[in-house]
Amino acid sequence: MDSQYIDHAMVLAGILFCLGLVGVMVRRNLLFMMISIEVMLNAAGLAFIAAGSAWGQPEGQIMFLAVITLGAAEVAVGLGLTLLLFRHHNSVNVDQLNQLRG
Amino acid sequence: MNWLALTSLMPLLLVASISVILLLLLAFIRDHKLTCWITCLGLAMAAFWAFADMGDAPQQVTPLLIMDDFSRLLGGTVLLVSLACGWMSYTYLETADEIREEYYILLSLAALGACVLVASNHFASMFIGLELMSVSLFAMVGYMAHSKQQANMTLEAGVKYMVLSGVSSSFLLFGVALIYAYAGNLNIDLLVAAEGPRLQSGYLVIGSALLLVGVAFKMSWIPFHMWTPDVYQGAPAPVTGFLAGAVKVAVFAFAMRWLMMAQGGYLDLLLLGLTVMAVLSMVVGNLLALRQNNLKRLLGYSSIAHMGYIIVTLAASATLGAAALSTALEAAAIYLITYASMTMLAFAVISQLAAQDRRFESGTLAHYQGLLYQQPLLAGALMLAMLALAGMPLTAGFIGKYYLVLVAVDSQLWLLLSLLVLGSSLGLYYYLRVILVLCKTPVGDSRLTLGASEKLLLTLLVAVTLWLGLYPTPAIQWVQLAIQ
Amino acid sequence: MQLLGIIISLLGGGVLALIVGRQSAAASRWLSLVSLAVASVFYASLWFDTTDPQATSLWLLHMDWPWIARFGIHLLLVTDGLSLVLIGLTLVLGYVALLSAWHEINHRCGLFYLNFLFTLAGVVGVFSALDLFLFFVFWEVMLVPMFLIIAIWGHEGRRYAATKFFIYTQASSLLMLAAMVGLVLLNLQQTEVWSFSWFTLTQTDTSGSLGMWLMLGFYLAFLVKLPGLPVHNWLPDAHTQAPTPGSILLAGILLKTGAYGLLRFVWPLFPDAASSFAPMAMGLGVFSVLYAAKLAFAQNDLKRLIAYTSISHMGFVSLGIFAWNHLGLQGTVMQMVGHGLSSAGLFAIAGLLQQRLHTRDLDKMGGLWGQMPKLAALSMLFAVAALGLPGLANFIGEFMVLVGVFQVAPWAASMAALGMILAPVYALIIMQKGFFGTAASTQTAGTSNVLDLNTSELLMLGVLVVGLVLLGFWPNLIFTITVAPVEYLMHLGKGG
Repeated sequence: MDSQYIDHAMVLAGILFCLGLVGVMVRRNLLFMMISIEVMLNAAGLAFIAAGSAWGQPEGQIMFLAVITLGAAEVAVGLGLTLLLFRHHNSVNVDQLNQLRG
Repeated sequence: MNWLALTSLMPLLLVASISVILLLLLAFIRDHKLTCWITCLGLAMAAFWAFADMGDAPQQVTPLLIMDDFSRLLGGTVLLVSLACGWMSYTYLETADEIREEYYILLSLAALGACVLVASNHFASMFIGLELMSVSLFAMVGYMAHSKQQANMTLEAGVKYMVLSGVSSSFLLFGVALIYAYAGNLNIDLLVAAEGPRLQSGYLVIGSALLLVGVAFKMSWIPFHMWTPDVYQGAPAPVTGFLAGAVKVAVFAFAMRWLMMAQGGYLDLLLLGLTVMAVLSMVVGNLLALRQNNLKRLLGYSSIAHMGYIIVTLAASATLGAAALSTALEAAAIYLITYASMTMLAFAVISQLAAQDRRFESGTLAHYQGLLYQQPLLAGALMLAMLALAGMPLTAGFIGKYYLVLVAVDSQLWLLLSLLVLGSSLGLYYYLRVILVLCKTPVGDSRLTLGASEKLLLTLLVAVTLWLGLYPTPAIQWVQLAIQ
Repeated sequence: MQLLGIIISLLGGGVLALIVGRQSAAASRWLSLVSLAVASVFYASLWFDTTDPQATSLWLLHMDWPWIARFGIHLLLVTDGLSLVLIGLTLVLGYVALLSAWHEINHRCGLFYLNFLFTLAGVVGVFSALDLFLFFVFWEVMLVPMFLIIAIWGHEGRRYAATKFFIYTQASSLLMLAAMVGLVLLNLQQTEVWSFSWFTLTQTDTSGSLGMWLMLGFYLAFLVKLPGLPVHNWLPDAHTQAPTPGSILLAGILLKTGAYGLLRFVWPLFPDAASSFAPMAMGLGVFSVLYAAKLAFAQNDLKRLIAYTSISHMGFVSLGIFAWNHLGLQGTVMQMVGHGLSSAGLFAIAGLLQQRLHTRDLDKMGGLWGQMPKLAALSMLFAVAALGLPGLANFIGEFMVLVGVFQVAPWAASMAALGMILAPVYALIIMQKGFFGTAASTQTAGTSNVLDLNTSELLMLGVLVVGLVLLGFWPNLIFTITVAPVEYLMHLGKGG
């Protein structure tokens, strides 16, 4: 990839990242929040791919694999917590989590 | 990888093998005591190995990990913190209506992640270590989800930690990707040395800033601290101890490698960001702590303030040349070690109390009223921890604070120094409040018992806290060895 | 070795008192007495060493062990005549405070005597440590037991008072820590040697604006402890709320650590900065003398009144030190000792009255002379001692301070002399409201059987009276010991 295209790829990744961030902040449904986090992680993955291809190195793709793995691990634990949340409150709305304050 | 590299990696291998052994073992035998013993023994052996290797030549194990004295010292510290955490978890879990054994697998995985993070020399291993630690911690924070008393709080804390940790990981990763795009390799200390089709340094600036944000989430520097008080309060007490002790040490060790040891990787923008976060953390952290009525929450704000103080060392390393760099590194390492010892002491006391009555960790400070007369040992230890956190001489806390003042004066950071003084003075108020509550006349008579193993743990932690304060010379020598 | 003996016997006594205190309160009392006695034996042997004609050197005792090699920090315990006098005062007031605690402190005795003896040990350490780091450690460590004494055994507003006391002193001493580190780094720059030793640091060149800032760091910490206006605010609360033995320790010796610090550290370490700052400091001293005396009139609470008089008297100390001439300094030392004895006496009496009448409010007292003549006579004596009656120690101190100040700053001396006129007024207020006149109605109701002093209380106050009279008539007892160290300090403080 020409190094001028990397800027385009990075802008795309940046937009995705921001979308994900906004999603985490405005959504109140835990499932959607986790999806938004996935979007953010994958935006970072995209940036790695672009950078790796600009340098002609495999590192970017390897990091992307690591990102996917992390995503899977996070979802595994996250879904477990979501399930428990649903059992306790019969919904996955995070606004119900308001016990801890001070 | 040769034999030497393998043996130098032994602490990590030992910790990793604990989790494998436990996974296999739990398929056949479920025995809480045995599980705890294996975990603690494994962690102790690993820590011993790490300290015993001090002074050996640095070993670069693949491009990913470096086992130098810095990794050994702080890795050993992290392992000792994990050991204390596993030890105090036993009584805590004994009284929980929850499956117990899997907790230790998570603990050893988190400890492994923290050690990898400390030893990482490459962004890939940094990322893997950090995430191994964080993902294990989601589960540990939310571990009591089936317990009737604790389910609500622990779940809330777990969800909050998961979401914010996920966000922070994304920031961190995106930052690393941009830095990689700029530098063309992922080695932490080769950021600027890279040759090749160099892109605009805008990538480096934005990337470093995003990476700093990711680190700031984990270090709970204000304004990235939102999760801290809630998670500290909701998580089971031993896990909070791990969060306050091991996680902070490991993440800051990475920050030291990144910002202090990698010469030239420093940017003015980062320095500005660090200073702003230091100012906010010292002032706001201490101010918010004043009104807290739950001890764990109070300690959450206190840890925000302490992590704000330690930024002084980062700022100092940036303002001065190589001569002051070694002092700044020394100060940072000493501060981390002293902070870990006193904060573990505080959480060990809370864990032992919470093991007998969960209201000690979830309720208000009023539950501690008169504890000095009912449980002199526990209350005395808590008092010592508070005095140490407040920075009184003869405790570990003073040595740490002395170093920070030294570094701040040496590099003429007057703003940070004055805020350090102001923040510590504000901090006195809430530490004293805890002490005053302990001294009040007791209400009712609570029957608390303390087993021999808990007494031993407390005695050891008290001894370490006092030893670092009374005769810090050996610790200083070790640290000096580690930062060469 | 004797110094270490004093400190260790106090610390060890404290720990033992805590242990036996669980079984028996009486045992912990006697044990504290024994540990004080052991400390006194060590002190006596130190004293006899000084009268030994062979010991002609200025420094009587020198104990020097390496501690933290990285920064050249040593366990450096040294005494000269000045320290010797102040340690002596500490031990004497230790006995007085112990006697006053004997009947007043009835709960958690073991813990009380632990804190009590640790405070004494800390103060002895402050008076003898000449490694700045070690000095700082003692300086801070003596606060914790004192804080607990106020917070656990104090009166109704004890927690607030204790917290205020701790935060004031601790915050200011953090500034001192920063200044101390700055000084050490300055010395490192000049000599390339890490050292916290007083002997090394007094050789450091501290002229220039940096020296001024460093000096202010030290000055502020000592001013808070002294206390001087405008940072005196913690003292009335702390003194009023502390139990009687706590007030005695605070007024008698803890305040003296501030004066000692000014004398030992501020001038010798920063001669230039201190001499250019002296008019300012003397102005604050005069202000303290007058303003605190004025505030004292307005108090109804007996202990609060005494506390304000303490501030006023410590203003004289501040004046004498910043005059920095021989008369002023010798007078300061005498004033420190005299005020230690007289204020301890006044606080002890306030405590005795509170035990008997359950109030400290002067408006609710009256006519006590008839009911307890011995106590009233002794109160009279301490009150006139405080106002500076010739023949008692305070007179010598204040007079010499004024003469010394007059030589350098006549304006300060003449204004401070007004303080000596105001002093009789508040001393007489105490006597008139409390002891003369008719018995107030509230008090006669429940306390018709108000008791006069018993033997142990007489003994306690008698020690102080003897001290005051002895020094009043024979001040050379102290001056012969302090003349050499004062000369030496002045030599250092003259600067370049």
